[in-house]
Amino acid sequence: MSQTNSEILRAEDLHTYYGKSHILQGVSLTVGEGELVTVLGRNGAGKTTTLRTLMGLTPARHGTINLFDRDITRWPPHKIAKLGVGYVPEGRKIFGHLTVHDNLRVPAARPGTWTLNTIYDLFPRLAERRSSKGANLSGGEQEMLAIARALLLNPKFLMLDEPSQGLAPVIVDEVMHTIRQMRDEGIAVLLIEQNAWLALGSADRAYVLGDGRIVDSDSAAAFLENKERVKALAGASLDPAGTQ
Amino acid sequence: MELLLFNIFNGLIVGLFYALMALGLSLILGLNGIINFANGSFLALGGYLAFTLKPEIGFWGALVASPLLAGLIGLVIERGLIRPLYGRDPLYSLLLTFGLAMIIQTMLRMTWGANGLPFKVPDFMSHPLSQTYFFLTGYRVFVVVLTILAAGSLFALLQFTRVGVRIRAGNSDLETVSALGINIYRLRAVNFGLGILMAGLAGVLAAGRLGLTPTMGASLLMPSFVAIIVGGVGSLMGSVLGGIIIGVASGIVTTYYPAASQVVIYLIMAVVLIVRPRGLLGQEGLLE
Repeated sequence: MSQTNSEILRAEDLHTYYGKSHILQGVSLTVGEGELVTVLGRNGAGKTTTLRTLMGLTPARHGTINLFDRDITRWPPHKIAKLGVGYVPEGRKIFGHLTVHDNLRVPAARPGTWTLNTIYDLFPRLAERRSSKGANLSGGEQEMLAIARALLLNPKFLMLDEPSQGLAPVIVDEVMHTIRQMRDEGIAVLLIEQNAWLALGSADRAYVLGDGRIVDSDSAAAFLENKERVKALAGASLDPAGTQ
Repeated sequence: MELLLFNIFNGLIVGLFYALMALGLSLILGLNGIINFANGSFLALGGYLAFTLKPEIGFWGALVASPLLAGLIGLVIERGLIRPLYGRDPLYSLLLTFGLAMIIQTMLRMTWGANGLPFKVPDFMSHPLSQTYFFLTGYRVFVVVLTILAAGSLFALLQFTRVGVRIRAGNSDLETVSALGINIYRLRAVNFGLGILMAGLAGVLAAGRLGLTPTMGASLLMPSFVAIIVGGVGSLMGSVLGGIIIGVASGIVTTYYPAASQVVIYLIMAVVLIVRPRGLLGQEGLLE
């Protein structure tokens, strides 16, 4: 798809720790305007930590993060979100005891195209279930709710942590369709996936993370041409069926 | 029969004080993750503030202003002392609020004296409403109505406003709330202030019924914790229910065996913990 116009995100040499364990050991990556970038890697490679570091949830001990030309390295999560960052966390993190509608009232809405009404138009299923408790939704509905919740911030940049996790293939297609739709509307996307085939099918560019370091990066097309390359570096989850 | 009704009604009133206090404790425990031992001292502070403000702005003015003032003081204390302890071992906040309770109590004693002070309610409320049921004074009915109003407003706030929705969301997952652009420092401060406001209101109401002493809050604090456990940790409705149940039970026991009127509270707690450890309405999240 589109090549990098201008960078919106530039992370350099990020080192992140959980207590004493050194999880990210110098991660650098960039995301361009309107680009869909994916970060691949096996379990425990540091994919989730990368997103959590970028979001300010697990701040980096070393390194810098520039977002929309601002140094956000030490910012708290809510300030980062308010710059226009939508975050769909690992495991969706739906507020299970709140109704769908209340879940959608939590985010600090920023002005823009996405309002409760337009969100309900985009996800009619959520409109139908607006009075249901979050915990009673199916996995796919929860994923849609998590994406909807992030969109209400009217993000210019969307980060998703394994949105396909635990979903039926049909639903995964639907979720990926929505993500591509967002990219096509001009939102830059950083997508974390264990399922390399799935992510590469939609992404513009990909990074491969291994043991807390970026071990490879290229355009998605280049990765898809050389399957052995992905297989060697990412290790896991490379069967075209896409499940593991 | 009248004596039993008298004691039940008395128990209900005290139970409502427990309930208001337990509501504040539950709120603060839920979002701030702090067991606030200073809640009883804030309750007494609310009462004493009303005592001082009443000659200036009258009973009704004091009834409104004192809880708000207590809440504001709570905000300052949250900002200065409690905020640095979020995310640390709960022992720190436990020690802090315990110390705070004693500091406030001593300040009350130094300012207003160690002896009890009367807090007179408007005359028209101090008369019995009925000859037979002499204990049904206007003030006691007023306490019931006001507690229902206060608890109802709190529930409405949590249910229908965005701040309320965020507080409920934050009870289960504060981190995700912050990632959705919400300043959780401010949210926690507001919530703490709300909890103290409830304690302050209980203080004014209790002052009109029981009078003022520096330790008035301390004696209401333990039963309020019991109310939370009986009602179910995490359920605000449960806190109210728990407060009423132990208050009324204590009233009933007073009629037949006054010596056991306090013990019965802990007996109820023990039974609940054995039969239904999560409490009567204890579930995940609030208002369920």
